[in-house]
Formats: sequence, structure tokens, C-alpha cells
Amino acid sequence: MPNCVRTLSRCCLLLLPLWSFAAAAADYGAQIRYADLSRSDTGLHINAAIDYPLSPTAKEALLKGVPLEWRVIIEIRQRRLLWNSVVSRQQLPYKLQFHALLNQYAVETGREHTEMFLTLNAALGYMSQLHGIDLVLPLLEADADYQLAVKTQFRREALPVPLRPFTYFDPQWYLSSAWFLWSIPK
Amino acid sequence: MVYSKIKLPLSASIVLLFGFVLLSLQLMSTATQESSELSELYSWLLVINALGSVLLLGLVAVNAWSLIRELKKKEAGSRLTTRMVSLFVLLALAPAAIVFYFSVQFLHQGIDSWFNVEIDRAMDDALELSQSSLTQRMNWHIKQTRQIANQLENKSDTLIALELGSLWADSGAMEIAVFSSQGQILASNSVNPNEILPTLPDKQVWLQLKQNKEYFAFDHSDDDKMTVRVILPIDHIDQSRFLQMLYPVPLRVTDLADSIEFAFIRYQEMTFLRDSLKTSFSLILLLVLLLSLLAAIWVAFISIRNIVAPVKELVKGTQAVADGDYKQQLPVMSQDDLGFLVESFNQMTRRIARSSDETRAAGMEVENQRAYLETILANLTAGVISFDASFHIRTANQAAYRILHVPVSHFVGQTLPTLIGKHSELAEVLGTIQRLLEKADDIWDQRIVFLGPNGRQELLCRGTPLFLQDGSRMGAVVVFDDVTDLIQAQKNAAWGEVARRLAHEIKNPLTPIQLSAERLQHKLSKELQDGSAEFLQRGTRTIVQQVEAMKRMVDDFSEYARPAKKQVERINLIDLIQEVEALYLPTGIIFSAAFASRHVLVEVDPVSIRQVLHNLIKNAQEATTGQCKIDIRVSKTVRNNADYVELGFFDNGSGLQNEHLETIFEPYVTSKAKGTGLGLAIVKKIVEEHGGVIWVDTSYNEGAGFVIQLPVFEFGNHQ
Repeated sequence: MPNCVRTLSRCCLLLLPLWSFAAAAADYGAQIRYADLSRSDTGLHINAAIDYPLSPTAKEALLKGVPLEWRVIIEIRQRRLLWNSVVSRQQLPYKLQFHALLNQYAVETGREHTEMFLTLNAALGYMSQLHGIDLVLPLLEADADYQLAVKTQFRREALPVPLRPFTYFDPQWYLSSAWFLWSIPK
Repeated sequence: MVYSKIKLPLSASIVLLFGFVLLSLQLMSTATQESSELSELYSWLLVINALGSVLLLGLVAVNAWSLIRELKKKEAGSRLTTRMVSLFVLLALAPAAIVFYFSVQFLHQGIDSWFNVEIDRAMDDALELSQSSLTQRMNWHIKQTRQIANQLENKSDTLIALELGSLWADSGAMEIAVFSSQGQILASNSVNPNEILPTLPDKQVWLQLKQNKEYFAFDHSDDDKMTVRVILPIDHIDQSRFLQMLYPVPLRVTDLADSIEFAFIRYQEMTFLRDSLKTSFSLILLLVLLLSLLAAIWVAFISIRNIVAPVKELVKGTQAVADGDYKQQLPVMSQDDLGFLVESFNQMTRRIARSSDETRAAGMEVENQRAYLETILANLTAGVISFDASFHIRTANQAAYRILHVPVSHFVGQTLPTLIGKHSELAEVLGTIQRLLEKADDIWDQRIVFLGPNGRQELLCRGTPLFLQDGSRMGAVVVFDDVTDLIQAQKNAAWGEVARRLAHEIKNPLTPIQLSAERLQHKLSKELQDGSAEFLQRGTRTIVQQVEAMKRMVDDFSEYARPAKKQVERINLIDLIQEVEALYLPTGIIFSAAFASRHVLVEVDPVSIRQVLHNLIKNAQEATTGQCKIDIRVSKTVRNNADYVELGFFDNGSGLQNEHLETIFEPYVTSKAKGTGLGLAIVKKIVEEHGGVIWVDTSYNEGAGFVIQLPVFEFGNHQ
């Protein structure tokens, strides 16, 4: 019995750094405050509000000219007994970059459109609002359950090469959000 | 179906391994370039290389562990493998570590050299200069716009539309527009006639406009052109109007500003990544070093094992040869020097095996000869003892033990004086032999008489010194034979002849002498006077008595010389002894008996044995002056691998003098006044006729002690 206790305590000691790492990572991860669907004549649209609380290291990197990239992933999943299958997947890329010359922040979206902002908050505010994003709907089965999943994923592999390996071990670079899930009404 | 295992040659495997390592490292190196398509796989390549390193480390660890186990088991070739691997690792590790250390140093110094205060300041200054230039241009355009806005103050929308064209033409702006606070365009003009509608501010601009009532900023169009957007309010009576003017920034200025910004940003980024760069490149260098070294060490393990394999086989083969397996043949794995060595080893073992067989055959022949010689020696009746140069006993045969009653073979390696110390009864004979051995340089003969444990013994000894070819002495051989019985037999034969002659020459005239004397007595006693008659009677009586005495003596001789006519019966010796004892009880002799068993069957002539007992008792009786006590002991003994009964006969008489010990059993030898001297001679004769022996027990000092040993038919275990 004492051996079991000792083994358990050692496991806890090993898990403690992981737990603290995960907790620290969660502080800087993006958060989806809300997300919903709206219907119009043209179809379904997604509205969402996403917070990007940048870590100090990420802010410093941004100010030093390192572009930060995210992509908002929107998935429609069909709920099954054992696992959910992804029916459709959309990605909305965002690239945030600081222009030292103009002292402005540029937000580049996937639609080859760049917006310039005088402050970081304005740029992050622009990124946080998703209004009327058209949802590409495949042919859905009438009697099946579907789930909408939204996540903001920070792209470490878009960072400069020397920085990448270390971002996997630094909680300040865990800037992705968790999945935000809700059911699609039939 | 036969499955065959496809196995790559070692060299191909090694080339493949290093190919994979190089490819992986090259891919990782390419991925470090931002522009490379592999850039996005950089982390994966890093992980794959790290996993490869771990895999190789595992392989090296397994090989090292296996080698340590072999070392602990002291397996053949393990020490050579360890030495070679250690040497290789040392030789590979030392320069690699040095190169790694200095590479990292150069790398860090190289990266550090990119950055310094002057470049920092130059970068900051360049950026500031660019910003100042742009700000100055911005301020000028704001001033221009403000003047136009002032000119349009409090004018109607129609008037504004009419004047706007002329004002725009003088300003040099790309576009001019007036719109209401709701975003309604009141008037506009543009350089580009295709653009009917002016570029209205977006939501962000409107937001700022509402907050600050004015807006001015550089706009980056999607075609990398830079414009200055200035929006200022126009004072109006009814509602506010906004004047927006877009000024182009010259392309050259835009390019220069972009170039400066790019350089600045790049520099800032590098400054930020300075430590990451160092660590990252060091990590890659370390990975390269690890992969290369571990792959090399693993290949070294395999190669060295392959090189050592024939040596290992050779060691095993040598051990087998050392253990006596000369049939050992090793497989020749290669045609190189080691293969030649293995082939030479095989030739050597073949020759050794052949020589060994010949030596074994010769040894067996010698052994057979030796065994044959030993058998002959062992079965010789003569004792044979061989000595080395320092007179230590080398060999002795069974006959030596039988004659000397000492297991001489147990004293191999010892000298005769040592043997004398342990067996004092052999002092005379062994001392004599030792003296002769030391003195004689040639063959010598000597008759040695000594008193052994079984009585007097007479040995005929012949010694032969042994010499080497160079003349030095290598030892000696002494051959001796117990001639006691032979001498005794000769004596007995002589005495028998004397007895026969006495019986024939003396006993025959005795009867006429006796008869003549008795007739003289009878005829003359009546005719002679009293004195003469008495003299005659005394004379004739003396003649008759002496003749009777001579007759008895001659009878005794006859008895002694008479050939044995034994009536052999199986009797119980104990009964016979007790029967004879009973006859002497009235005479007052005190008998004490100690019988190991009361059932001792012997096959003897009872009359002869009874006579033996009578003679011994009479001998004791005659030797005792006072109360005669006789102690008889019967026990079992083994002699020449046969069972014997030992009959001890001990009296309390005067005992035997030393000078008589050697001749006590010869006729006419007696220490008593009354004895004829034939009693013990007859006893000895009878005992020997029955296959037994008799000797005087010299260790008994309270009188005379005789020990008789006779073959026994059955000796009971119970008393």
C-alpha cells in the first residue's frame, strides 16, 4: 500500500509541471466569448466575438516586427455514436503585423484585404468581430444531428524558423482557443 | 514454400544509413530558410531528427549493454571489441567535440556581430528620418486641406460643388470629396475619370472621425501605393460637412520608406530572435553532431564486431586447443589477413592433432611397457626397491612389503633413515642397505640377517647402482630375497640326514651293547664276590641307562627326521587346546585363555598339533622354577590375503636370551639343563608342515612368548 501511495505521489509530482504549464497556457489563449448563427435570405451566417489576450512575449514579438497569424476554423460535424465526422471545414486566416514606419497595425485577412489600425486594441478589436460570415453548407441529412465547431488556432509554423521550436515549450505562445461547440437547429 | 530472408550487405546498409542521416539533415537545413517550401515542416523535421538521434542512441546503448554483458561473462573477443570501440569513440568524440565547441563559439560570435549600437542607432535614425519626411508631407497636406475647407465654409452644397473643381485642380490631390456626416456625397472630383464614386471612409475611419472630428493618415492601397488621406470638417450653418482629400505619395518616396521599414523591421525581428537564433542553430549543430556521431558509433560497433568475429573464433579455438581439443577447425570467413590467420590456425591444429595422436600412441606404448614391467615387478617373489640419486625411495614392489612387513610403497619419496625412524625393527637391514648404497660403486651382494616381526629372517640382497650416460649417478636398485626358509630347509635336511645316520649307525649297535651288558650282569653276578658283583652291577646299569638314553635320543632324532605322515582332520582348535590343558591341570600349571572365538575350525593332523601344544607346555614347564603360568591367546589374522588363526603362547619362565633368539628353533639349541633341544625344532617343523609359521614374540618380556599362525578353515564370529 505505501508503494502505491509513493507511486501516486510521484505521478502527481510529474504531472504538476504539466498542469501548471497548461494553466499558464490557458491565460494567453484566445477565448470565444460567444458564437451564434443567423439566418438571412442568402443562407446561414456565423457571428462570433473572439478575444485575443496577447501574452507579453507575443506583444514584444509583434512590436519587433514578427507577424502573428491565426486562423478561425469553422467546422460542421455530424454527431455519431463513437465519434463525430467533419462534414465541412472553413478557415478564416488573420495576420497581424506592426508597421513601424507608420506606427500602425495591419490586419490582413484571407480576402487579400489589409486594414490599418492606429492601436493594437483597434486591430485586435477588428479581428475579434465575426459578422455575417457565410456558412458553406453541404447537403445535410434531415434526421442527423449536426454540430458547429469554432476555434481560433494560432499558427506557430508561420513564426520565424528559429522561434518555432521554443514556442512549443513556452506557455506565452499558446494563443489558440478551445473549441466552441453548439448544435445546429434542424 | 521456402522463405528466404533478404539481407543487405553491411556496406550497403551503412551507405543507406548515412544517406538517410545526410538527407534528413539536409532537409532540416533547407527548412531553416524562410523562403523554402519545407519551412513549414521545420518543426516536424526537427522532431524526426531528434527521434532518429534517440533511436540511434538506443541502438548504441543496446550494443554497449550487450558488450558489457559479454565483458562480465569474459566472452572471447569482448575485451578487444571494447578496446577498439573505446578507441574509436575517443578518436571520433574528441575532434567532434572540439569542432562543435568552436562552431558554437563562432556561430554565437557571428550572430552577435550582426548587432551593435551604431547599427541600432542608424536604424532608428533612418526610421525617424522616414517618419519625419512623411509627417512633414502629411502636415503640408493637412494645411492644404484646411485652407480649402476654410474656403468652403458656410457655402451651400451647390456652391461647394461648383467651387470644388477649381480648388482641387490647384491642390494636386488625387481625389477630393465633400460628404455629410451621414456619409452622403455632396460633391467630388478625381484624377481617375473611371472612378465615379470617391473612396469613402470605412467604418474604422468613421469611428475615429466621430471621436476626433478630423482624420489624417497614410493609406496603403492593395497595389502597394501609399496615399495620404485627410478628412477635415467644413463649418456649415445647418449640418456639418466633411472634406476628404487623397494625396498621392511619390512612388520613389514610397519605395524608400518601404525599404527602410523592411530593413528596420527585419533588424528588429533579428534582434528579438537573437537568442532564439543562437539556441536554434546550436540545437541543429548538436543534432547534426549527435546523428553523425551516433550513426558512426553504431556502424563502428557493427564493423568492429565483424572484424573481431574471426578473432573471437580464433580465441575460442585457441581455448579449445588449450583444453585439449586438437580437432578444432574454424570457418574461413574472409580472404584477407584474418582469413589467412584462421587458415594458418586450422593448419596448426591439424598438425597438432596429428602429433598428439602420435604422441598418445607412443605414450600408450610406453605406458603398456611400464604396466608390463610393474606387473612383472609386482609378481616377483624378490623385493625390489629403486632409489634416486639422493637415495630417496622411488618405487617398491609388493614383495618388498611382504618380506619387510612394511608397506614400503607408502614411503616413496622418503629415505631409508626416515623409514628406520618409523620402523626400528628394520634398523639393521635398512641401515646395512643404506651403508652399502652410499659406499658401493659397483654391483654388490650381501646376506643380511635380522630379527623381524616374525622372527629371524635372512635376506640375500643385491644392489646395483644406476648411472647416466655422462657417468653421473642417477640412483640404485636393490633386489632382495628372503632366504630364511631356504636356509632353514637346508638345515633341516642336514639334520634329517644326521638323524638318519645316527639311527642307522648308532641305534643298531646299541641293542647288542645293552644285551651284552645285561648278559654280563646275568652271567658274572653270581660268580663274582660281593664287591666286584656290586661294581659290575653298577657298571652294567650305567651302560644300560646310557644306552637307553642314547636310544631315546636316537628316537627323538628319528621323530624329528621322520617324514610327515599327517592324518588331516577338520577339528575345533579351541577344543584341542582345552583338552591338552585338562591333561596338565593336575600338574599345577595355571592356564589363562583369551579366545576371540570358541569356534575355530582348522584342518590339521590332531596328533601333530597336540604334540606341538605338549612340547610348548613342557618347554614352559621346564623353563619355570616356581608356579608355572601359561597364557594362551587365540585371534584371527590375515596373512597374504588368507585367513589365519594366531595362537599366542606366553609363559612366565626365565625367557629367552638374545643370543638364542636366532637359533632357538634349530635342533640341539636349548637354554635349559634338562632339554634335548629338539622340542621347539619339532614344533617349528610341525607348524611349517601345516603351512603355518612360528616365531618368538620379542616384545613379550615376562617370559618366553611364541606366536603360531595356522591357516584357518572357519573362524566364528561369536565367542
